[in-house]
Amino acid sequence: MGSSEPTPAQRLTLARLADILVPEGLGMPAATTVGVAGDLLDRSLAAAPSFFEPLLALLDDVPDDGLDAFVRRLEVERPDDFAVLSTTVVAAYYLSEDVRELIGYPGQQPNPLSVAAEPDYLDLLERVYERHPGYRECL
Amino acid sequence: MAIFSKVYYFNMVTQGHQSEVVIIGAGASGSVAAARLAAAGFEVVCLEQGDWVGPADYMGAQPEAELAWIERWNPDPNARRGMADYPLTGDADVRPVMYNGVGGGLVQWAAMWQPLLASDFRVRTLDGVADDWPISWGDLADAYARVAGDMSVSGLGGDPALPEMNPYPNPPIPIGKIGRVAAEGMDRLGWHWWPGANAIASRRHRSLQACQRRGTCMTGCPENAKATPSLTHWPSAQSAGARLVTGARVMEIPVDKRGRVGGAVYRDRDGVEHFQPAQVVMLAANAVGTARLLLLSASSRFPDGLANSSGLVGRRLMQHPYRTVTVVCEDPLDSWQGPWGQNIYSLEFAETHPDRDFIRGAKWMVMPHGGPMFAVAEYQEAHRHEGFEAVWGANFHRAAAEVFGHSFTWGIQAEDLPEYDNRVLLDPSVHDSSGLPAARIEYRVSENTRRMLDFNVARAVEAAGESGAVTTMVRDVWPTGIGHVLGTTRMGNDPESSVVDRWCRSHDVPNLYVIDGGVFVTGGSANPTATIMANALRVVDHMIETRVSQEVP
Ligand SMILES: Cc1cc2nc3c(=O)[nH]c(=O)nc-3n(C[C@H](O)[C@H](O)[C@H](O)COP(=O)(O)OP(=O)(O)OC[C@H]3O[C@@H](n4cnc5c(N)ncnc54)[C@H](O)[C@@H]3O)c2cc1C
Ligand code: SF4
Repeated sequence: MGSSEPTPAQRLTLARLADILVPEGLGMPAATTVGVAGDLLDRSLAAAPSFFEPLLALLDDVPDDGLDAFVRRLEVERPDDFAVLSTTVVAAYYLSEDVRELIGYPGQQPNPLSVAAEPDYLDLLERVYERHPGYRECL
Repeated sequence: MAIFSKVYYFNMVTQGHQSEVVIIGAGASGSVAAARLAAAGFEVVCLEQGDWVGPADYMGAQPEAELAWIERWNPDPNARRGMADYPLTGDADVRPVMYNGVGGGLVQWAAMWQPLLASDFRVRTLDGVADDWPISWGDLADAYARVAGDMSVSGLGGDPALPEMNPYPNPPIPIGKIGRVAAEGMDRLGWHWWPGANAIASRRHRSLQACQRRGTCMTGCPENAKATPSLTHWPSAQSAGARLVTGARVMEIPVDKRGRVGGAVYRDRDGVEHFQPAQVVMLAANAVGTARLLLLSASSRFPDGLANSSGLVGRRLMQHPYRTVTVVCEDPLDSWQGPWGQNIYSLEFAETHPDRDFIRGAKWMVMPHGGPMFAVAEYQEAHRHEGFEAVWGANFHRAAAEVFGHSFTWGIQAEDLPEYDNRVLLDPSVHDSSGLPAARIEYRVSENTRRMLDFNVARAVEAAGESGAVTTMVRDVWPTGIGHVLGTTRMGNDPESSVVDRWCRSHDVPNLYVIDGGVFVTGGSANPTATIMANALRVVDHMIETRVSQEVP
């Protein structure tokens, strides 16, 4: 191992697998279109460094042909490896600003609370009061 | 100074300055004790195996926040594998999670603030199972109010399911769209619900800033809006003179010939051993860490572990086994929005009911789903058994569109009754980074708990229907816990059937206290921290009042 980032060949393999997991559809781009195998991959691995080695080992182990069948077998036969691959792909996909915009997700952005003087659920709460038998007395 | 049976005493590498009290663990209970004792003028040293953490370490403000949960901020110490973590081994249906560092579990907690029910203290009397506590709800009432103030809790008092309480210091956090939809469902069924109380500041209060709703609370709050002891307790504790030693992994609590403890032996980050002498030792290392330490401190006088004449140290572990029902609705619910505490909760099924095939009950709480990665993962978890095509490929975006921003989760935590064989042991072969045996967990989910969870999940699916759910996703019992570890050093009046007395002092060793969640007699179904902190405050108040009669080495 030793290398601190995936090789171009490993990125290429990841890209092919990623598009099987997250293809284009329903108005959403495919994983590779937004750069899942590029710097989004690097950012994901930086945030989850323990994925680095198992992911790269897996990518080196992928056959040239029959990728569809390979991914499906991986899910069933090597669930831990599949989890590393699929989590990395999904995480990288949703790091994309374009994807976030398309799904209407601003990110976990600051958005100050506004605490109403009078919450709008008091009518519902009133009914909780009315029907509740009270706590089991045993002080 | 008394003569101690252990060699440590004679050839200790370094020996600290004698303190009146040494507290082990700077988590929820240890922080309360340190602040209160220091304010009362005690010389206090707290030994904590982990480090300080703060906003610079939290990743909530970064786009990679969700990934942080997998790694640096994974609540499972076996996955996180930080220097301060000790491995948890063993065959358990539910394996505990925790955070080891200044603040303990309250670095990562969801800050749901939930006092126990009044009936929780009288389970034997009312329901004929387990044991009554040696104290009642009333004994904690004053402390509940004081810690709620210290923790800047935001909530609405007056819940009829609970005894009357002082108002919380801050108004409740808005229940949001997800809380509203869930509450409407409960309303249609005539079931109990209440806006959630959370130790998250809805406005600037004491040491906390107002919450910014990032929703990344469980990887640490980057805004200093969630109560955690490094903000709420340690500044005052330290300015009153309390000393906190981090990177100090306590290995043993030695005992003298008269059966008194004399302090704590710890190993620092470089592996150097130290002895911290003290007149009183307070264990606050949580129900796993404290049991482990007592078992590690076996001696010729206490061959089965320190303070373990009852044989109960490590036993009766309770964890609130947990299931979830994720509710997917047609309308947008902005359900990535925080805080990730409880928007609303329900105690409708928390009490024993004669028509049900289980005893005691569960608490429910509504939570958001976090970002898209979490929302999709929840869907995939629920549909994985349908095969690859159900969740990947063409269906990936369909699933994401269905759940993301349109779902919320009912978390259902069960009151698991104390079982003798659910326990913490020392692992004979696995060790932590200091060479100490790992904690081995043996824990089975009982039939009573399984029936309780099945019943509650079925009711939550019903409630989801009344909330207009288009679909629900139900998860089985979570194999990793929710950070609630209780019961391994229970309190009680009888030394034969309890480890500590009603003041949380060891029956066997008069200058040894346990103040963490281990002292719970039964677990209730409430998130435990409000009670852990209130109880620690009650115990320390009493210790201060009775200081002149405290036996010391
Ligand atoms: C992800 C998560 C979410 C949670 N959410 C909630 C919630 O919403 N509401 C709620 O009520 N509760 C919640 N909890 C539970 C809450 O964190 C615990 O109830 C609480 O922290 C327990 O307090 P404690 O004092 O018993 O121990 P802890 O807070 O666990 O503190 C124990 C401390 O002791 C230290 N320690 C252990 N062994 C040693 C040793 N040998 N030497 C030195 N130091 C040692 C540890 O490093 C740790 O810092 C959550 C927990 C987690 C992990
Ligand atoms: S939602 Fe509030 S409490 Fe949670 S991380 Fe954001 S600011 Fe902190």
